[in-house]
Amino acid sequence: MAIMRINVGPIHPGTHGVLKLVVDVEGDTIKRVEPHIGFLHRGVEKLMETRMYMQNQSYTEKLDYIAPLSWDDLYVNSVEKALGVPVKEPAQYERVILLEFQRIASHLLWLGTFVNDVGQLFTVFMWCFRDRAKIMKLLEDVSGGRMFYVNLRLGGFNKNPPADFKERSYALCDYLEEKLMAYPDVLDSSSIFMERTKGIGVLSKDDAINYGVSGPVLRASGVEEDVRKSHPYYVYDKIKFKVPCTYNGDTYDRYEIRYEEMLESISIIRQALDAMPEGPTVGMPIRLIGPQAKPEHVIMQEELPRGEGIIYLVPDKQRPYRISLRSPAFINLSVLPKLSEGMKFADLFSIVGSLDVIFAEIDR
Amino acid sequence: MKASGFDYLKKITAIDYNDHIDVLYLVYNIKKREDAVIRATLKPDDLSVETVMRIYRAADWYERELSEMFGIKIKGRRVKRLLLELWNGADYPLRKSFVWGKDYNKVK
Repeated sequence: MAIMRINVGPIHPGTHGVLKLVVDVEGDTIKRVEPHIGFLHRGVEKLMETRMYMQNQSYTEKLDYIAPLSWDDLYVNSVEKALGVPVKEPAQYERVILLEFQRIASHLLWLGTFVNDVGQLFTVFMWCFRDRAKIMKLLEDVSGGRMFYVNLRLGGFNKNPPADFKERSYALCDYLEEKLMAYPDVLDSSSIFMERTKGIGVLSKDDAINYGVSGPVLRASGVEEDVRKSHPYYVYDKIKFKVPCTYNGDTYDRYEIRYEEMLESISIIRQALDAMPEGPTVGMPIRLIGPQAKPEHVIMQEELPRGEGIIYLVPDKQRPYRISLRSPAFINLSVLPKLSEGMKFADLFSIVGSLDVIFAEIDR
Repeated sequence: MKASGFDYLKKITAIDYNDHIDVLYLVYNIKKREDAVIRATLKPDDLSVETVMRIYRAADWYERELSEMFGIKIKGRRVKRLLLELWNGADYPLRKSFVWGKDYNKVK
């Protein structure tokens, strides 16, 4: 049968952003996929070299508009490391709590759009957005921003948490746990969801390591790797949690990993709330001062919702001399040709969706 | 390097120090949870590195990004297409000689 070339995107509802795919199909079977990226390239790394440390904070938030706090925290943490500023203990706990809430919110948005992609009814989408809105409300009350928070300062936050922060967080944990229990019942009993995810886009363990994928995509292939365990930051080493790991490496497993991670996050938040000491969490603004201790370079890594994010920072007096960002979604997308080889064309968007790509971060 | 257990390539990046360019390979040992950074210093008269794609498949897009952003030749690879669409491919924006705000009109 003759090979036909189909062009998908760059504007397409199934690609979640400006991704262009050139797909060679033979009948209905994919022979080759070539992702074209870079439509959203705005030179963030270069731009950040020209701006002060404080100004850059808003750029890092826009790298990932689904989970802005995670990237912001990674950036502020690396600046803190470069300047040698310790983070206050209550602020460390509060950061862990907010980061885990952000992870749940990110995974919820992913789940909602993903089940929509694979042809599930709109129900789960609405549920996810209903639950995510509660988290966004809490983050808004803590930080003052609804989408982009920019509330991190050196050693803490821009203001203390609201008086009822702990009670509200406990209540939100209970709420989320109760609501999350309903999700698998709907999804696992849906034959559409199961048939479009089980055995689709299988990535073996060796390939996962060789291709360098990270985060839920890596863990779905049976590699138990999590930065929160291997390079603990803040108080993650004092908190007990397990790293979910599955062994099939297909689209369903990537869903399962993210679902399990949400439950783990709730348990992390509860432990952090229990152990959180009283005290102010206000930090100092990132002033326009040169670093007191000037290290040659700083490598900071954190577990973002999409995988492992790394900032390689070469500090200069007032602005970064060079800042290099390792985007987990970038490397996760590069495995797409491997995953979709031999699959049906209709499964392509199930695979793209399961990688949880975000183009602000991929194109940088 | 891979034989000694560093089986996971995290990132390839580069830093322009005006008189030389450093290429960094961030590798990781998944079993022992150890990090390592390999640093290659390139003199301006020979800006090229060997490809590591046959060792680490993850190097594919990183190497292409490196050659487009820094103009570093990757020996042993033939890439037909630019990784980042809409880029002219003739200027190297992450080099220090590329001035932000002055040279941006060169961009397509």
